[in-house]
Amino acid sequence: MKSQGKNGFSMFTDLLIHRLKSIGGEVNRVLKMERGERKRCLKIYVLLGLLLFSFVRNLSALSVTVNDEECVYEYVLYEGDSVSGNFVVVDHDIFWSSDHPGIDLTVTSPGGNTVYTLKGTAGEKFEFKAPRSGMYKFCFHNPYSTPETVSFYIHVGHIPNEHDLAKDEHLDPINVKIAELREALESVTAEQKYLKARDTRHRHTNESTRKRVILYTIGEYILLALASSLQVVYIRRLFSKSVGYNRV
Amino acid sequence: MAGSVSSRNPAVVLWLVLICCWTSHLLPIAQAIWLSLPSSGTKCVSEEIQNNVVILADYSVIDVVNVDEHPDVIPTISATVTSPYGNNLHHQENVTRGQFAFTTSEAGSYLACFWLDGNHQGGTRIAVSLDWRIGISAKDWESVARKEKIEGVELELRKLEGAVQSIHENLNYLKNREAEMREVSETTNARVARFSIMSLGVCIVVSILQLLYLKRFFRKKKLI
Repeated sequence: MKSQGKNGFSMFTDLLIHRLKSIGGEVNRVLKMERGERKRCLKIYVLLGLLLFSFVRNLSALSVTVNDEECVYEYVLYEGDSVSGNFVVVDHDIFWSSDHPGIDLTVTSPGGNTVYTLKGTAGEKFEFKAPRSGMYKFCFHNPYSTPETVSFYIHVGHIPNEHDLAKDEHLDPINVKIAELREALESVTAEQKYLKARDTRHRHTNESTRKRVILYTIGEYILLALASSLQVVYIRRLFSKSVGYNRV
Repeated sequence: MAGSVSSRNPAVVLWLVLICCWTSHLLPIAQAIWLSLPSSGTKCVSEEIQNNVVILADYSVIDVVNVDEHPDVIPTISATVTSPYGNNLHHQENVTRGQFAFTTSEAGSYLACFWLDGNHQGGTRIAVSLDWRIGISAKDWESVARKEKIEGVELELRKLEGAVQSIHENLNYLKNREAEMREVSETTNARVARFSIMSLGVCIVVSILQLLYLKRFFRKKKLI
């Protein structure tokens, strides 16, 4: 997973660099405009900037404890928005059992149909295009009886596309590029949150392994000493009853 | 291109669109996650946050079944926010909306809990809309724009620069955490090897002790 994560991350940075280069070109073009034009441009850009600001929502990576089923709702403003996110099961100290059980994720659209499902996984990223706008339901289901803590992150991103450009002739392609760049940075941030949650999970596993190693070894020594002393006691009893009629 | 903008009408249209977007911005449903509240018991969310990070959160009660209506009686909730060491950072009872903002002084897991107050009849499902922002998302860009008198594309690029900076800080944090974990893994690895060889030694020592004791025992019993 480590090398896969590294490749994903380098892909994101390549995308970022590509976007930065293209936006650098656009900014150069804008800056080369005459001063009068720029003033009028800036006024429109203020409005457009504020408009764009309303397109991006951001969430923090919250954790919730799932006993049986926990649902989180998220509102999608526009049809066709890409909803992306990840979740990681950061579980409690499992001492005696062997592996982390997984949980299920179900995403339901406002119409009631299931848009996305993931079953029996201990942590994954997901992404889908919202078929319609409205309230989406993200449900985590825990098939086992032990409560699990799930850390999740959901992001809804909107990029103004050619349809919006055609509708409003003052929406400049630079705003599209800025939105694309912002989405690219968002995906890098989302990847980082995922890595952070997985790091926490690995930390728990490591701590549990450390404790287990110490406890199992000490238990093993005690059992060994006990077994050998039991052996000695038994042999003593065999020979102590009577030496005469019980020659072994 | 933008050079053709000389009349007022497009700006008016743009302002109208902007106002529409901003009003949808103000509604709590537009910007937050909803958590469904059980009729009894508390619903808690937590997050692991480092030291010295700004937290800004807004919560409000929503009636899931009839979202658009405004009933006369809106059920009230209580909310608490606890720091990792147990200090109570925010506590409100019998409110329909509230907000809290603070800078963390301890690194650890911060817990926000909500529960319904006792006088709720049941029937309609209640949800809490929580808008939880930390770090760079909690930054007030409007005041930055006003103070430095930047606007439009420059403000957007400034926001992107802030995002890149927070990415850089997060990377450093992840790198440090990974280094710490590697230390723990290496010590565990060394310990496993050491304890296995020690267990072999314990086995041999115990068997030698057994043999010595039994020899002495049989000599005493005059069997050998």
